Amino acid sequence: MHTVLIIDDSDINLTLIKALVMKLGECEAVLFANPLKALEWCRSNVPDLVIVDYMMPDMDGLKFISAFRALHGRDEVPILMVTANDQKDVRYEALLGGANDFLTKPIDRIEFSARARNMLSLRTGQKFLADRAQHLASLVDEQTREIRDREKELIFRMSRAAEFRDPETGAHIQRMAHYSQAIAIGLGLERAAQQLILEAAPMHDVGKIGIPDYILLKPGKLTVEEFEVMKGHARLGYELLKDSRSDILRAGAQIALTHHEKYDGTGYPRHLKGNDIPVFGRIVAVADVFDALTSERPYKKAWSLEDACRFLEDGRGKHFDPLCVEALLAEWNRVLDIRQRFQDEVVPMV
Amino acid sequence: MLDVFVLDRAPILERLGGDEEIFTMMIDMFQQDVDNNCATLIAALASGDPLLLQREAHTLKGLLATFSDDAGAERAFALEQKVKRGELAGLDAEVEILVARLREVAGVLAQA
Repeated sequence: MHTVLIIDDSDINLTLIKALVMKLGECEAVLFANPLKALEWCRSNVPDLVIVDYMMPDMDGLKFISAFRALHGRDEVPILMVTANDQKDVRYEALLGGANDFLTKPIDRIEFSARARNMLSLRTGQKFLADRAQHLASLVDEQTREIRDREKELIFRMSRAAEFRDPETGAHIQRMAHYSQAIAIGLGLERAAQQLILEAAPMHDVGKIGIPDYILLKPGKLTVEEFEVMKGHARLGYELLKDSRSDILRAGAQIALTHHEKYDGTGYPRHLKGNDIPVFGRIVAVADVFDALTSERPYKKAWSLEDACRFLEDGRGKHFDPLCVEALLAEWNRVLDIRQRFQDEVVPMV
Repeated sequence: MLDVFVLDRAPILERLGGDEEIFTMMIDMFQQDVDNNCATLIAALASGDPLLLQREAHTLKGLLATFSDDAGAERAFALEQKVKRGELAGLDAEVEILVARLREVAGVLAQA
Protein backbone atom coordinates (compact mmCIF):
# COMPACT_ATOMS: atom_id res chain seq x y z
CA MET A 1 0.00 0.00 0.00
CA HIS A 2 1.41 3.37 -1.04
CA THR A 3 0.74 6.58 0.84
CA VAL A 4 0.22 9.50 -1.52
CA LEU A 5 0.28 12.98 -0.02
CA ILE A 6 -1.74 15.55 -1.98
CA ILE A 7 -1.46 19.25 -1.24
CA ASP A 8 -3.65 21.76 -3.07
CA ASP A 9 -5.60 24.72 -1.76
CA SER A 10 -8.43 23.98 -4.18
CA ASP A 11 -10.95 21.45 -2.86
CA ILE A 12 -11.99 20.42 -6.34
CA ASN A 13 -8.38 19.65 -7.30
CA LEU A 14 -7.85 17.72 -4.06
CA THR A 15 -10.94 15.64 -4.79
CA LEU A 16 -10.01 15.11 -8.42
CA ILE A 17 -6.43 14.07 -7.66
CA LYS A 18 -7.57 11.82 -4.82
CA ALA A 19 -10.06 10.09 -7.16
CA LEU A 20 -7.29 9.57 -9.71
CA VAL A 21 -4.92 8.25 -7.06
CA MET A 22 -7.52 5.75 -5.86
CA LYS A 23 -7.92 4.52 -9.43
CA LEU A 24 -4.22 3.56 -9.42
CA GLY A 25 -4.97 0.85 -6.85
CA GLU A 26 -3.06 -0.06 -3.67
CA CYS A 27 -2.87 3.59 -2.68
CA GLU A 28 -4.19 5.64 0.19
CA ALA A 29 -4.44 9.39 -0.18
CA VAL A 30 -3.68 11.93 2.53
CA LEU A 31 -5.08 15.37 1.67
CA PHE A 32 -4.06 18.81 2.85
CA ALA A 33 -5.39 22.17 1.63
CA ASN A 34 -2.77 23.92 3.77
CA PRO A 35 0.90 23.24 2.94
CA LEU A 36 2.07 24.19 6.45
CA LYS A 37 -0.18 21.54 7.99
CA ALA A 38 1.05 19.06 5.37
CA LEU A 39 4.63 19.80 6.36
CA GLU A 40 3.74 19.23 10.00
CA TRP A 41 2.27 15.83 9.06
CA CYS A 42 5.47 15.02 7.15
CA ARG A 43 7.56 15.45 10.28
CA SER A 44 6.20 12.17 11.63
CA ASN A 45 5.09 10.44 8.41
CA VAL A 46 6.95 9.50 5.25
CA PRO A 47 4.74 9.44 2.15
CA ASP A 48 5.62 7.36 -0.90
CA LEU A 49 4.67 10.13 -3.31
CA VAL A 50 3.97 13.83 -2.90
CA ILE A 51 1.70 15.68 -5.31
CA VAL A 52 1.87 19.39 -4.64
CA ASP A 53 0.31 22.42 -6.32
CA TYR A 54 2.49 25.40 -7.10
CA MET A 55 0.39 28.41 -6.23
CA MET A 56 -0.98 28.22 -2.69
CA PRO A 57 -1.44 30.67 0.17
CA ASP A 58 1.04 30.72 3.09
CA MET A 59 3.63 28.61 1.29
CA ASP A 60 3.98 27.96 -2.42
CA GLY A 61 4.90 24.58 -3.88
CA LEU A 62 8.57 25.48 -4.32
CA LYS A 63 8.97 26.46 -0.68
CA PHE A 64 7.10 23.34 0.38
CA ILE A 65 9.45 21.12 -1.64
CA SER A 66 12.47 22.84 -0.17
CA ALA A 67 11.18 22.45 3.41
CA PHE A 68 10.12 18.84 2.76
CA ARG A 69 13.51 17.89 1.32
CA ALA A 70 15.21 19.40 4.37
CA LEU A 71 13.43 16.91 6.65
CA HIS A 72 15.55 13.92 7.60
CA GLY A 73 14.98 10.89 5.33
CA ARG A 74 12.73 12.75 2.87
CA ASP A 75 15.39 13.51 0.27
CA GLU A 76 14.43 10.67 -2.05
CA VAL A 77 10.64 10.64 -1.81
CA PRO A 78 9.31 11.35 -5.33
CA ILE A 79 7.51 14.66 -5.82
CA LEU A 80 5.11 15.55 -8.61
CA MET A 81 4.42 19.24 -8.92
CA VAL A 82 1.20 20.55 -10.44
CA THR A 83 1.75 23.64 -12.58
CA ALA A 84 0.15 25.53 -15.41
CA ASN A 85 1.50 25.24 -18.93
CA ASP A 86 2.81 28.78 -18.96
CA GLN A 87 4.96 28.39 -15.83
CA LYS A 88 8.19 27.22 -17.43
CA ASP A 89 10.35 29.29 -15.06
CA VAL A 90 8.57 27.70 -12.11
CA ARG A 91 9.26 24.26 -13.53
CA TYR A 92 12.97 24.92 -13.87
CA GLU A 93 13.10 26.21 -10.32
CA ALA A 94 11.15 23.21 -9.06
CA LEU A 95 13.50 20.79 -10.81
CA LEU A 96 16.49 22.45 -9.19
CA GLY A 97 14.65 22.48 -5.86
CA GLY A 98 13.93 18.74 -5.83
CA ALA A 99 10.75 18.04 -7.80
CA ASN A 100 10.95 14.83 -9.82
CA ASP A 101 8.23 15.45 -12.40
CA PHE A 102 5.28 17.68 -13.28
CA LEU A 103 1.57 17.54 -13.93
CA THR A 104 -0.11 20.14 -16.04
CA LYS A 105 -3.51 21.64 -15.31
CA PRO A 106 -6.11 20.67 -16.30
CA ILE A 107 -5.04 17.25 -15.14
CA ASP A 108 -5.24 14.46 -17.68
CA ARG A 109 -5.93 11.02 -16.26
CA ILE A 110 -3.71 9.11 -18.72
CA GLU A 111 -0.79 11.45 -18.12
CA PHE A 112 -1.45 11.46 -14.39
CA SER A 113 -1.57 7.67 -14.14
CA ALA A 114 1.63 7.20 -16.13
CA ARG A 115 3.59 9.77 -14.18
CA ALA A 116 2.26 8.71 -10.77
CA ARG A 117 2.94 5.03 -11.50
CA ASN A 118 6.49 5.88 -12.59
CA MET A 119 7.08 7.76 -9.38
CA LEU A 120 5.61 4.98 -7.25
CA SER A 121 7.78 2.40 -9.07
CA LEU A 122 10.77 4.55 -8.29
CA ARG A 123 9.71 4.62 -4.65
CA THR A 124 9.20 0.86 -4.56
CA GLY A 125 12.72 0.43 -5.95
CA GLN A 126 14.14 2.82 -3.37
CA LYS A 127 12.45 0.97 -0.52
CA PHE A 128 13.57 -2.41 -1.86
CA LEU A 129 17.17 -1.22 -2.06
CA ALA A 130 16.99 0.35 1.40
CA ASP A 131 15.51 -2.83 2.90
CA ARG A 132 18.08 -4.93 1.11
CA ALA A 133 20.93 -2.69 2.23
CA GLN A 134 19.67 -2.84 5.80
CA HIS A 135 19.29 -6.61 5.61
CA LEU A 136 22.80 -6.99 4.20
CA ALA A 137 24.21 -4.64 6.82
CA SER A 138 22.63 -6.67 9.61
CA LEU A 139 23.96 -9.90 8.05
CA VAL A 140 27.46 -8.39 7.84
CA ASP A 141 27.17 -7.23 11.46
CA GLU A 142 26.12 -10.68 12.57
CA GLN A 143 28.89 -12.41 10.60
CA THR A 144 31.47 -9.90 11.85
CA ARG A 145 30.35 -10.49 15.42
CA GLU A 146 30.63 -14.26 14.92
CA ILE A 147 34.11 -13.94 13.41
CA ARG A 148 35.21 -11.64 16.23
CA ASP A 149 33.81 -14.01 18.85
CA ARG A 150 35.63 -16.89 17.18
CA GLU A 151 38.82 -14.83 17.08
CA LYS A 152 38.51 -14.09 20.80
CA GLU A 153 37.86 -17.72 21.60
CA LEU A 154 40.84 -18.85 19.53
CA ILE A 155 43.06 -16.30 21.25
CA PHE A 156 41.92 -17.48 24.65
CA ARG A 157 42.46 -21.13 23.75
CA MET A 158 45.87 -20.39 22.21
CA SER A 159 46.82 -18.53 25.37
CA ARG A 160 45.69 -21.45 27.47
CA ALA A 161 47.74 -23.81 25.31
CA ALA A 162 50.82 -21.86 26.36
CA GLU A 163 49.71 -21.72 29.97
CA PHE A 164 49.02 -25.48 30.07
CA ARG A 165 52.74 -25.99 29.86
CA ASP A 166 53.10 -23.77 32.88
CA PRO A 167 51.76 -24.28 36.37
CA GLU A 168 49.36 -21.43 35.70
CA THR A 169 45.64 -21.72 35.02
CA GLY A 170 42.92 -20.42 32.74
CA ALA A 171 41.69 -18.36 35.65
CA HIS A 172 45.07 -16.58 35.78
CA ILE A 173 44.63 -15.53 32.15
CA GLN A 174 41.16 -14.23 32.85
CA ARG A 175 42.19 -12.41 36.01
CA MET A 176 45.28 -10.72 34.60
CA ALA A 177 43.34 -9.70 31.46
CA HIS A 178 40.59 -8.16 33.58
CA TYR A 179 43.11 -6.52 35.94
CA SER A 180 44.73 -5.04 32.81
CA GLN A 181 41.37 -3.68 31.74
CA ALA A 182 40.77 -2.28 35.24
CA ILE A 183 44.11 -0.45 35.08
CA ALA A 184 43.23 0.89 31.61
CA ILE A 185 39.96 2.18 33.08
CA GLY A 186 41.84 3.74 36.01
CA LEU A 187 44.21 5.43 33.57
CA GLY A 188 41.25 6.85 31.67
CA LEU A 189 42.12 5.15 28.37
CA GLU A 190 39.43 5.18 25.69
CA ARG A 191 36.76 2.52 25.87
CA ALA A 192 38.09 0.83 22.71
CA ALA A 193 41.56 0.57 24.28
CA GLN A 194 40.06 -0.84 27.49
CA GLN A 195 38.34 -3.55 25.44
CA LEU A 196 41.43 -4.19 23.30
CA ILE A 197 43.72 -4.82 26.26
CA LEU A 198 41.14 -7.15 27.80
CA GLU A 199 41.18 -9.23 24.63
CA ALA A 200 44.91 -9.02 23.90
CA ALA A 201 46.43 -9.43 27.38
CA PRO A 202 45.82 -13.21 27.54
CA MET A 203 48.50 -13.61 24.86
CA HIS A 204 51.26 -12.09 26.98
CA ASP A 205 53.04 -15.43 27.55
CA VAL A 206 52.13 -17.19 24.29
CA GLY A 207 55.83 -17.29 23.40
CA LYS A 208 56.33 -19.91 26.14
CA ILE A 209 55.18 -22.41 23.53
CA GLY A 210 58.71 -22.16 22.13
CA ILE A 211 60.54 -22.68 25.43
CA PRO A 212 61.88 -26.22 26.02
CA ASP A 213 60.12 -28.24 28.70
CA TYR A 214 63.30 -28.83 30.72
CA ILE A 215 63.47 -25.08 31.31
CA LEU A 216 59.79 -24.16 31.42
CA LEU A 217 58.88 -26.98 33.78
CA LYS A 218 62.10 -27.02 35.82
CA PRO A 219 61.10 -27.18 39.46
CA GLY A 220 64.18 -25.45 40.81
CA LYS A 221 65.87 -22.14 40.13
CA LEU A 222 66.99 -21.55 36.53
CA THR A 223 70.66 -21.13 35.71
CA VAL A 224 71.77 -17.87 34.11
CA GLU A 225 71.85 -19.59 30.70
CA GLU A 226 68.45 -21.18 31.23
CA PHE A 227 66.99 -17.85 32.28
CA GLU A 228 68.34 -16.25 29.10
CA VAL A 229 66.49 -18.91 27.11
CA MET A 230 63.37 -18.33 29.21
CA LYS A 231 63.53 -14.58 28.53
CA GLY A 232 63.28 -15.41 24.84
CA HIS A 233 59.54 -16.08 25.25
CA ALA A 234 58.90 -12.32 24.95
CA ARG A 235 60.39 -12.14 21.47
CA LEU A 236 58.95 -15.52 20.49
CA GLY A 237 55.46 -14.32 21.37
CA TYR A 238 56.04 -11.13 19.42
CA GLU A 239 57.28 -13.01 16.35
CA LEU A 240 54.27 -15.30 16.54
CA LEU A 241 51.72 -12.48 16.60
CA LYS A 242 53.28 -9.50 14.79
CA ASP A 243 52.11 -8.22 11.41
CA SER A 244 48.62 -9.65 11.88
CA ARG A 245 45.64 -7.93 10.24
CA SER A 246 43.85 -8.33 13.56
CA ASP A 247 44.02 -5.40 15.98
CA ILE A 248 43.85 -7.85 18.87
CA LEU A 249 46.78 -9.95 17.65
CA ARG A 250 48.88 -6.85 16.93
CA ALA A 251 48.18 -5.57 20.45
CA GLY A 252 49.01 -9.08 21.74
CA ALA A 253 52.36 -8.93 19.93
CA GLN A 254 53.21 -5.63 21.58
CA ILE A 255 52.20 -6.93 25.00
CA ALA A 256 54.17 -10.17 24.55
CA LEU A 257 57.29 -8.19 23.67
CA THR A 258 57.07 -5.54 26.38
CA HIS A 259 55.37 -7.00 29.47
CA HIS A 260 58.74 -7.87 31.08
CA GLU A 261 60.23 -4.44 30.53
CA LYS A 262 60.71 -2.47 33.75
CA TYR A 263 60.05 1.20 34.26
CA ASP A 264 63.65 1.90 35.29
CA GLY A 265 65.06 0.20 32.19
CA THR A 266 66.27 -3.01 33.89
CA GLY A 267 63.70 -5.28 32.25
CA TYR A 268 63.93 -7.35 29.09
CA PRO A 269 64.24 -7.95 26.17
CA ARG A 270 65.04 -4.38 25.04
CA HIS A 271 65.68 -2.62 28.35
CA LEU A 272 63.13 0.04 27.51
CA LYS A 273 62.62 2.75 30.09
CA GLY A 274 59.65 4.80 31.34
CA ASN A 275 57.15 5.82 28.71
CA ASP A 276 59.30 4.25 25.96
CA ILE A 277 57.56 1.08 27.10
CA PRO A 278 54.17 0.99 25.35
CA VAL A 279 51.30 1.64 27.77
CA PHE A 280 49.84 -1.84 27.22
CA GLY A 281 53.18 -3.37 28.25
CA ARG A 282 53.35 -1.18 31.39
CA ILE A 283 49.78 -2.12 32.31
CA VAL A 284 50.22 -5.87 31.81
CA ALA A 285 53.47 -5.82 33.79
CA VAL A 286 51.50 -4.68 36.87
CA ALA A 287 48.51 -6.96 36.25
CA ASP A 288 50.62 -10.07 35.62
CA VAL A 289 52.83 -9.63 38.67
CA PHE A 290 49.89 -8.73 40.91
CA ASP A 291 48.05 -11.90 39.95
CA ALA A 292 51.18 -14.05 40.20
CA LEU A 293 51.79 -12.76 43.73
CA THR A 294 48.22 -13.22 44.93
CA SER A 295 47.77 -16.70 43.41
CA GLU A 296 48.85 -19.97 44.87
CA ARG A 297 51.35 -21.96 42.80
CA PRO A 298 52.80 -25.44 43.38
CA TYR A 299 56.02 -23.84 44.54
CA LYS A 300 54.57 -20.97 46.63
CA LYS A 301 51.65 -19.83 48.70
CA ALA A 302 49.48 -16.90 47.67
CA TRP A 303 50.55 -13.56 49.06
CA SER A 304 48.02 -11.54 51.00
CA LEU A 305 46.48 -8.60 49.14
CA GLU A 306 48.18 -6.19 51.53
CA ASP A 307 51.61 -7.69 50.88
CA ALA A 308 51.02 -7.69 47.14
CA CYS A 309 49.94 -4.06 47.22
CA ARG A 310 53.01 -3.14 49.24
CA PHE A 311 55.19 -4.92 46.68
CA LEU A 312 53.59 -2.95 43.86
CA GLU A 313 53.95 0.32 45.75
CA ASP A 314 57.60 -0.41 46.55
CA GLY A 315 58.15 -1.14 42.87
CA ARG A 316 56.71 2.17 41.67
CA GLY A 317 59.15 3.94 39.37
CA LYS A 318 61.46 0.92 39.48
CA HIS A 319 59.72 -2.16 38.17
CA PHE A 320 56.36 -0.53 37.57
CA ASP A 321 54.89 2.60 36.02
CA PRO A 322 53.66 4.55 39.09
CA LEU A 323 50.50 5.62 37.26
CA CYS A 324 49.59 2.01 36.48
CA VAL A 325 50.03 1.02 40.14
CA GLU A 326 47.86 3.94 41.22
CA ALA A 327 45.25 3.03 38.61
CA LEU A 328 45.04 -0.55 39.92
CA LEU A 329 44.63 0.66 43.49
CA ALA A 330 42.06 3.24 42.40
CA GLU A 331 39.99 0.43 40.88
CA TRP A 332 40.25 -1.74 44.00
CA ASN A 333 36.57 -2.73 44.15
CA ARG A 334 36.82 -3.91 40.58
CA VAL A 335 39.97 -5.88 41.46
CA LEU A 336 38.18 -7.66 44.32
CA ASP A 337 35.28 -8.47 42.05
CA ILE A 338 37.62 -9.97 39.43
CA ARG A 339 39.31 -12.14 42.08
CA GLN A 340 35.91 -13.38 43.12
CA ARG A 341 34.68 -14.07 39.58
CA PHE A 342 37.72 -15.94 38.28
CA GLN A 343 38.90 -18.48 40.83
CA ASP A 344 41.53 -21.13 40.15
CA GLU A 345 40.42 -24.51 38.95
CA VAL A 346 42.33 -27.73 38.80
CA VAL A 347 44.09 -27.84 35.44
CA PRO A 348 45.89 -30.97 34.30
CA MET A 349 49.57 -30.49 33.64
CA VAL A 350 50.72 -31.54 30.18
CA MET B 1 -17.81 39.99 -23.08
CA LEU B 2 -17.09 36.30 -23.29
CA ASP B 3 -18.61 33.82 -25.68
CA VAL B 4 -21.41 31.79 -24.19
CA PHE B 5 -20.16 28.77 -22.29
CA VAL B 6 -21.07 25.50 -23.89
CA LEU B 7 -20.30 22.31 -21.99
CA ASP B 8 -18.26 20.00 -24.17
CA ARG B 9 -18.20 16.71 -22.29
CA ALA B 10 -15.94 14.86 -24.71
CA PRO B 11 -12.56 16.54 -23.98
CA ILE B 12 -13.30 16.61 -20.24
CA LEU B 13 -14.16 12.95 -20.14
CA GLU B 14 -11.17 12.16 -22.29
CA ARG B 15 -8.90 13.83 -19.75
CA LEU B 16 -10.62 11.84 -17.02
CA GLY B 17 -10.08 8.60 -18.88
CA GLY B 18 -13.81 8.34 -19.57
CA ASP B 19 -14.57 8.18 -15.88
CA GLU B 20 -18.17 9.45 -15.51
CA GLU B 21 -18.04 9.02 -11.75
CA ILE B 22 -15.20 11.53 -11.36
CA PHE B 23 -16.84 13.83 -13.89
CA THR B 24 -20.08 13.91 -11.90
CA MET B 25 -18.20 14.42 -8.67
CA MET B 26 -16.35 17.41 -10.12
CA ILE B 27 -19.55 19.01 -11.35
CA ASP B 28 -21.08 18.64 -7.89
CA MET B 29 -18.03 20.18 -6.29
CA PHE B 30 -17.94 23.10 -8.71
CA GLN B 31 -21.52 23.93 -7.86
CA GLN B 32 -20.91 23.57 -4.14
CA ASP B 33 -17.88 25.84 -4.31
CA VAL B 34 -19.08 28.49 -6.77
CA ASP B 35 -20.45 30.93 -4.17
CA ASN B 36 -17.32 30.63 -2.13
CA ASN B 37 -15.07 31.06 -5.19
CA CYS B 38 -16.93 34.22 -6.25
CA ALA B 39 -16.78 35.66 -2.75
CA THR B 40 -13.07 34.90 -2.43
CA LEU B 41 -12.31 36.66 -5.73
CA ILE B 42 -14.32 39.74 -4.75
CA ALA B 43 -12.66 39.79 -1.33
CA ALA B 44 -9.23 39.54 -2.94
CA LEU B 45 -10.01 42.59 -5.09
CA ALA B 46 -11.33 44.48 -2.08
CA SER B 47 -8.25 43.67 -0.02
CA GLY B 48 -6.03 45.65 -2.40
CA ASP B 49 -3.44 42.88 -2.13
CA PRO B 50 -2.19 42.23 -5.67
CA LEU B 51 -0.58 38.91 -4.76
CA LEU B 52 -3.85 37.63 -3.29
CA LEU B 53 -5.81 38.68 -6.37
CA GLN B 54 -3.19 37.16 -8.67
CA ARG B 55 -3.39 33.87 -6.82
CA GLU B 56 -7.21 33.76 -6.88
CA ALA B 57 -7.20 34.52 -10.61
CA HIS B 58 -4.69 31.71 -11.07
CA THR B 59 -6.91 29.29 -9.13
CA LEU B 60 -9.97 30.21 -11.22
CA LYS B 61 -7.97 29.79 -14.41
CA GLY B 62 -7.25 26.16 -13.42
CA LEU B 63 -10.82 25.60 -12.28
CA LEU B 64 -12.38 26.82 -15.52
CA ALA B 65 -9.82 24.95 -17.61
CA THR B 66 -10.85 21.76 -15.83
CA PHE B 67 -14.27 22.15 -17.49
CA SER B 68 -12.67 23.05 -20.82
CA ASP B 69 -13.86 26.63 -20.55
CA ASP B 70 -10.97 27.96 -22.59
CA ALA B 71 -12.42 31.45 -22.94
CA GLY B 72 -13.06 31.75 -19.19
CA ALA B 73 -9.62 30.37 -18.36
CA GLU B 74 -8.02 32.86 -20.78
CA ARG B 75 -9.84 35.72 -19.10
CA ALA B 76 -8.68 34.57 -15.67
CA PHE B 77 -5.14 34.23 -17.01
CA ALA B 78 -5.32 37.75 -18.45
CA LEU B 79 -6.37 39.08 -15.03
CA GLU B 80 -3.57 37.15 -13.35
CA GLN B 81 -0.97 38.57 -15.76
CA LYS B 82 -2.36 42.09 -15.55
CA VAL B 83 -2.05 42.11 -11.77
CA LYS B 84 1.37 40.53 -12.01
CA ARG B 85 2.51 43.37 -14.29
CA GLY B 86 1.14 45.88 -11.78
CA GLU B 87 -1.62 47.13 -14.06
CA LEU B 88 -4.21 47.66 -11.37
CA ALA B 89 -6.62 49.94 -13.23
CA GLY B 90 -10.02 48.64 -14.28
CA LEU B 91 -9.79 45.45 -12.28
CA ASP B 92 -13.35 45.79 -10.93
CA ALA B 93 -14.79 45.14 -14.37
CA GLU B 94 -12.48 42.18 -14.95
CA VAL B 95 -13.47 40.62 -11.64
CA GLU B 96 -17.14 41.23 -12.40
CA ILE B 97 -16.81 39.42 -15.73
CA LEU B 98 -15.11 36.46 -14.08
CA VAL B 99 -17.70 36.22 -11.32
CA ALA B 100 -20.43 36.23 -13.94
CA ARG B 101 -18.58 33.55 -15.87
CA LEU B 102 -18.31 31.31 -12.82
CA ARG B 103 -22.04 31.57 -12.22
CA GLU B 104 -22.76 30.93 -15.90
CA VAL B 105 -20.61 27.79 -15.90
CA ALA B 106 -22.29 26.60 -12.70
CA GLY B 107 -25.67 27.11 -14.32
CA VAL B 108 -24.72 25.13 -17.39
CA LEU B 109 -23.23 22.35 -15.31
CA ALA B 110 -26.44 22.16 -13.30
CA GLN B 111 -28.25 21.18 -16.50
CA ALA B 112 -25.69 18.52 -17.39
